[in-house]
Amino acid sequence: MTEQRIKVEVAYAKQREQALLEIEAERGITVAQAIERSGILGRFPEIDLAVNKVGIHGKAARLDQPLASGDRVEIYRPLIADPKAARKRRAGEARKESRAASA
Amino acid sequence: MLAPILVIGILAALFGLLLGYSAIRFRVEGDPIVDQIDGLLPQTQCGQCGFPGCRPYAEAVAKGEAEIDLCTPGGEATMLALADLLGREPGSGEGQAERVKRVAVIDEQACIGCTVCLKTCPVDAIVGTTRQLHAVIASECTGCELCVAPCPVDCIRMVPVASDLSGWKWPYPAATAQAAQPPVA
Repeated sequence: MTEQRIKVEVAYAKQREQALLEIEAERGITVAQAIERSGILGRFPEIDLAVNKVGIHGKAARLDQPLASGDRVEIYRPLIADPKAARKRRAGEARKESRAASA
Repeated sequence: MLAPILVIGILAALFGLLLGYSAIRFRVEGDPIVDQIDGLLPQTQCGQCGFPGCRPYAEAVAKGEAEIDLCTPGGEATMLALADLLGREPGSGEGQAERVKRVAVIDEQACIGCTVCLKTCPVDAIVGTTRQLHAVIASECTGCELCVAPCPVDCIRMVPVASDLSGWKWPYPAATAQAAQPPVA
């Protein structure tokens, strides 16, 4: 027999403030419904589900994806740093170091 | 003359068989006390006790080679549970007291969303996915520092947690006595 109620978590984390809310819901609830139900949107008004990507346990997910028991729905924020620039900077530093080592 | 020898002989053979059978039937794999200690530890495998994981620490405690107050994520509750199980003195808790509780904080300006730290975290305290900002849920972080070294852009720092009502402890008498001394002018 499968349980009718499942427990899921909704998480949103910023550098200074984080929320990890647990909710109980009926089987078949979707990512969007869980976020709505958790009330996290009221606590962090800056969340815009059209902009912020969501996922389950570190893997990107669609808003209409159904949840399984124990899933952690996560709301992400876009990057501030540019990965390409960071890589270029690191490559530059490595080159400088190797040059200094050979000189 | 023959009867007593026979009786004793048969009895001996019977008990021998019984002992042999119980040795196989009730065989215990490994050391049960290690399993019990391991069961009390939080299984974060963080290595803050100085052992490479919870199981090695449990083995050291079972042998009496390690103090029972070294588990930082478990805190005082784990220490008291271990003291209860082993009948040892709870200890002063100095193993943890010296270390201020710290949590990891990710620098948002530098994070490139590579998910390396996510995979190293034993307690899933980091929220993030590929090419999205990562952030640490402070209440979940045990301060194990396993995420610090793998970060390719060195954007994770360990920050001491400000003490609040939930984490505040009565300071040790020696420390207060020193602090209470008037400053030398």
